[in-house]
Amino acid sequence: MNTADIKNEKSVRYHGVGISNGCVSGPLRFFRQRRKMGRIRACGDQREERARFEQALLRTREQLDTLQRRAIREIGKKEAEIFEIHAMMLEDEDFLEAVQGALDDGACAETAVERAAEKHAQALRSLGDPYLSARAEDLHDVATQLLRQLSGERPDGDLSTEREPYILVADDLSPSETVTMEKSMILGFVTFGGTPNSHTSILARAMGIPALVGVGAVSEDCDGAYALLDAAEGTLTVSPDAEERCAFEEKQREVNDLAREHDRYLRSLINKPAITRSGRKILIYANVGEGREIAQALLNGADGVGLLRSEFLYLSMDRYPTEDELFASYHDVVQSMQGKRIVIRTLDIGADKQIPYFALPQEENPALGFRGVRICLAREEIFKTQLRAILRASAYGNVSVMVPMIVSEDEVRACRVILNECMEELEREGKKFDHGIEFGIMIETPAAAIMSDEIAREVDFFSVGTNDLTQYTLAADRQNPLVERICEENREPILRLIEMAAEAIHRHDGWIGICGELAADLHLTQRFIDLGIDELSVSVPYLLGVREKVTECK
Amino acid sequence: MKEFTYTIEDPNGMHARPAGKLATYAKQFDADIRVHAGEKESDGKRLLALMSLGATCGTELHFIISGSDEEAACEQLERFCRESWGRGE
Repeated sequence: MNTADIKNEKSVRYHGVGISNGCVSGPLRFFRQRRKMGRIRACGDQREERARFEQALLRTREQLDTLQRRAIREIGKKEAEIFEIHAMMLEDEDFLEAVQGALDDGACAETAVERAAEKHAQALRSLGDPYLSARAEDLHDVATQLLRQLSGERPDGDLSTEREPYILVADDLSPSETVTMEKSMILGFVTFGGTPNSHTSILARAMGIPALVGVGAVSEDCDGAYALLDAAEGTLTVSPDAEERCAFEEKQREVNDLAREHDRYLRSLINKPAITRSGRKILIYANVGEGREIAQALLNGADGVGLLRSEFLYLSMDRYPTEDELFASYHDVVQSMQGKRIVIRTLDIGADKQIPYFALPQEENPALGFRGVRICLAREEIFKTQLRAILRASAYGNVSVMVPMIVSEDEVRACRVILNECMEELEREGKKFDHGIEFGIMIETPAAAIMSDEIAREVDFFSVGTNDLTQYTLAADRQNPLVERICEENREPILRLIEMAAEAIHRHDGWIGICGELAADLHLTQRFIDLGIDELSVSVPYLLGVREKVTECK
Repeated sequence: MKEFTYTIEDPNGMHARPAGKLATYAKQFDADIRVHAGEKESDGKRLLALMSLGATCGTELHFIISGSDEEAACEQLERFCRESWGRGE
């Protein structure tokens, strides 16, 4: 499959294995990777090399966690599992022993990592199983991340500044590269290497983007050239002539008509309200983690944002952000909403979601520890700074504020008191804010659901965080493979708690939404509607699917 | 010492996901867990070693478990193999 037919002086055709059918055309952009960082350092003493390696190991581990969270949000839980495998490879005893061995032989940390990775990659490749050979590449991806940490270099080949949609061309893409890429601009993928089992293929399939893998090398002269990618035929035509272009466009119409019929149907729903067959309107909102996802959410028909995870600014800094910095970032986010409602969740961190400068103590059991509103009420100055920033941003749109991890009406009242204080201060200072700003809480503890009647008197809305509600109700951690089935097989207790909360908030003329993962579970959509849920908030890729499902519900 | 055998039914064989889960399970126990596949042998707690067994669909895996919690380990691992392996893949 390494053939390039010279059709005439200009056009060149490449063949490969097509992934997810579809025809796209656009300029090629080469993603240039430097796989080998291989700058061999003059070796420090062994103790120093070991310390450098340990440090890189720690950082890489953190980075993998971040990538995994991002992949869960943007692509899907299953596709994100690869980062868990990467973490296990990183901490695999055999791998660490091989690194250790090389260090003992006097190698510097970089060489030790490369040698250890190659040794085990070789072992996997030698089995002759295509799937396991692809995992050898994973091991190299892990090693590359370690080497980057060691050298302090940033990933190169960055295409994030591209303004026009393009067909991405690369040697092969690693999972970490694929996840960190800005996907809105990518029309298709072409990789020199790769198989139907490689990550580019898996992700292309998950994202419904046409791809061609295993094409052999594409000449770098083609960077920027206009090309036709036909995934069904498995061909890439670079610099096509008028005839080829014409034939392709006709084919493109046929193939894409079919492939996109459903897509077009989904798109047709974008600006229509999601109304059930019995005439109930359900709001379909988006969960977003950072400002730039909002444009995507609106393009996919979101009626609003049901959950803005407000941690992003805190996470990107190495000190507490000031009120003005927070205000500036929330202001931008609120303005980009075009008047639609945005629910900003106040800080939700804890021992499991650390921010170093918060200097939170290590805890035996972070899920049941000092987190969310507990931190905010204990460290009021942090809470007030954030609330004031949110209030000031509320002058520029339709903002609601929501507090996580509530267990009692006392906590809700305490939050309300602080919010009122912030309002009075801003009033005195002559700063603008929305006096009628909606105030709500997350229902993510069984206690909050059980006490929902009392709590509902104090708030305008509830939003159910099903992930935590599930783990606290069933006393089972979804991340633990020994008990994950318990979470999957026991939906009823969660649904009954949601029902209690829905009835309570409706008695007090408020509304209720769901912003956890279950909101995107199409098997439950009808049930949620029956329970009286007013709003479903899901991550961007699920927006249209949920909207379609709602229109099919009774 | 406890032991059991399990023949892989997953068409993808001992690929990364089940190997990862198997190692995660195995790590919960103190007992020494050895996995034999034909002539090859691996520590049941090590992902790369398990993958390097190159076990495919139809390969018979022989687990040999010894240590203070061998009973529980054997039961859990066997249950994992028979009930969860490849579920939802």
